[in-house]
Amino acid sequence: MMRPRWTTGRVGVVVLMATVWIASGVAAYLYLGAHRTMLAGEAKKPTEARLRQGPISHLPGTLYLVQGGTLYRLERGSFSPVLKAPGGASRWTQPVFTPNGQSLVVVRRDYASSDLYLVDPSGHNLNLLTHNASRTVEANHWAFYPRPSPDGGSLFYSYDRKDPSNFYNVVLSVYAMPMSAGSSFNQAKKWTAPTSFTGGDIQPVPLPSGAVIYTKYSFDDKTGKILSQIYLTPRAGAQGKALTPIEDSCLQPALSPDGQRLAMICTGGKQFASLEIAHFDGSKLGPAQVLVSGQLAAQPTWSPDGTSLVYLAPQGLHGRFQLWLQPVPAPEPTVSTAPTPSSIRGSQAARPTPTVPATPTAPPSPVPQPVQLTSDLDFDATSTIAWRG
Amino acid sequence: MGWRGMLALFFVGLLTSGLAGAAAYFLPVVVAAYAQTGLARPAPPTPDQARSVPSAAPAGGSAFTVLLMGSDDDAKFAQGVYLTQSMILIRIDPATRHVTMLSIPRDLYVPWSTGGRGKIDEVHQHGDAASVATVERNFNIHIDEWAWVGLKGLVKLIDLMGGVDLTTGNPVLDDFYPADLESTNPYSYKRVAVLPGPQHLDGIHALEYVRSRHGDIQEDFGRSQRQQQVLLALRTKARNVNAADLPGIVASFHDEFKTSFNLTDFGRLRSLLSLASQISDPSQIEQIVLVPPYTGSDVINGADVVTPNWSLIRPLVQQKFT
Repeated sequence: MMRPRWTTGRVGVVVLMATVWIASGVAAYLYLGAHRTMLAGEAKKPTEARLRQGPISHLPGTLYLVQGGTLYRLERGSFSPVLKAPGGASRWTQPVFTPNGQSLVVVRRDYASSDLYLVDPSGHNLNLLTHNASRTVEANHWAFYPRPSPDGGSLFYSYDRKDPSNFYNVVLSVYAMPMSAGSSFNQAKKWTAPTSFTGGDIQPVPLPSGAVIYTKYSFDDKTGKILSQIYLTPRAGAQGKALTPIEDSCLQPALSPDGQRLAMICTGGKQFASLEIAHFDGSKLGPAQVLVSGQLAAQPTWSPDGTSLVYLAPQGLHGRFQLWLQPVPAPEPTVSTAPTPSSIRGSQAARPTPTVPATPTAPPSPVPQPVQLTSDLDFDATSTIAWRG
Repeated sequence: MGWRGMLALFFVGLLTSGLAGAAAYFLPVVVAAYAQTGLARPAPPTPDQARSVPSAAPAGGSAFTVLLMGSDDDAKFAQGVYLTQSMILIRIDPATRHVTMLSIPRDLYVPWSTGGRGKIDEVHQHGDAASVATVERNFNIHIDEWAWVGLKGLVKLIDLMGGVDLTTGNPVLDDFYPADLESTNPYSYKRVAVLPGPQHLDGIHALEYVRSRHGDIQEDFGRSQRQQQVLLALRTKARNVNAADLPGIVASFHDEFKTSFNLTDFGRLRSLLSLASQISDPSQIEQIVLVPPYTGSDVINGADVVTPNWSLIRPLVQQKFT
């Protein structure tokens, strides 16, 4: 019987083959691992984003946005942290400029409460305006959506006063407190009466007239859902009136710098969110024009000159919210033609608002396409954006 | 052995080692599939039900019904003995790509398949099959498959998917939300505030959104709407999942997932994923919550319960689920 001759060459071939086989097995394993969808891939930090060459670098002025609880300033296409996330469950959110642009009011959200702070635009000189924390869980309070009045004398916000008759009824109301030196939270006045067990009244936008626009939540018998409406109330404690129909479920009102147009997000109680604008004459809204549809658009914010809006919407697979720019068509002059027929939401055309008599208008201008300004970032879509010139 | 033999040996070895590498990658899936899937199907319906509801086997392109169950599985309960905080019946018709989702109120007062009467969430203490059989007998339908997921499993799954994008309907505020996932005391509570509008939610915050009920005017019905909403958002994310993601998904579930689906049947699994990806139009998905007049409320033995109006519910279910 002949035995195989194990020459050096044969041994070398066997070792080589075994090495290739092992490498093949490992490669198959690694190949599969590398072809995961990476749904949970990490977002970049804004400071890592290279945006200096893109359209974002042409945005005028300074914007403040929040990602991961850190407040960032955006200037000439470059982000810099202004208030770093305090750590743990704490995070900064919902920045807004004071009317003179010298300060920001920002919310610090903690584990069981949130408070309003006044801070200078570089993140220094933090001043606590509210005191909502308590060691007893249910004795804590929330304060969200701060917005100074145009004269800078008052600070409007949403606050959850306790309901002594039912501790489960946690509901936000619009409050206003003086912003003058020496004033305190104890002087805050309740402006709106929220509907119980709906979430309440949020996102106040004080007007120069002294009235306040806000978002109100109510239960809609027709759809069996809690839906939102943009409301207007002339003074504290007065009965507000709806500016949008409940079935449109609009929220996040943003008034243009000239005070004549209102941008808002409308969801119809469904899983879409269109960005719409409508003429505002101080007491009612005109027909709404859909600027953006087919996206989960959030937080519309007017440019200082009123010619464009930025907003947040998800990008692609990861679904993280990015900054987008939407140029706003110039307002159409009113003409004496018959009203245009109703159009369908999402068609980027005029939509009559049922609560308002149709105003004869010219056909709307074509709406420019939105421009995506950032990618791979992860902005907090529940936080407002602050923008000053 | 000549060079041809060596060459053949080399390629056979190459193929075998490649397959071994792939097998090692999918080993957790296979182990979990054998341990947690292909579990007992529900008992056959009673003769009455068999007459009234034709069984729709999920084979081929025929419509089929799945019962999804979600539970608190914290330390309040003995291992494996949980209530079902969420029960959603889903009917999927592959031919029409139509999906119907019906949330069953957790406090629905019904006769149990195990004997006696009580809230429908409590029958799960007798096992998955008892829940399935109770739903079948009360709703007069045939359930083809069921799946159960625990709280931690849902959180991990959502995180693994990179979170979900959705438009939260209204501020969800709750001063007495269970803090059982972050405390050793299962009865501890915390405050939550999920703000409204389009947003990206990670697992913990998505769970807060679907689990909170104290501050909702519709209580459990409102919560059911939110659960369906997150389920649909998850489905949107799942459309992007491929086979290479399965080991990670399985690892995230650990002991937090059980199902009658046999996940070792890769052919069927692939066809189900394909079907999910084809249902992209929201109008193809019908969502039902059994609000009044389908249900009423009562106090029985000192407990608040939801009473079924079977004269309305059964025709609805008959229409949508058979």
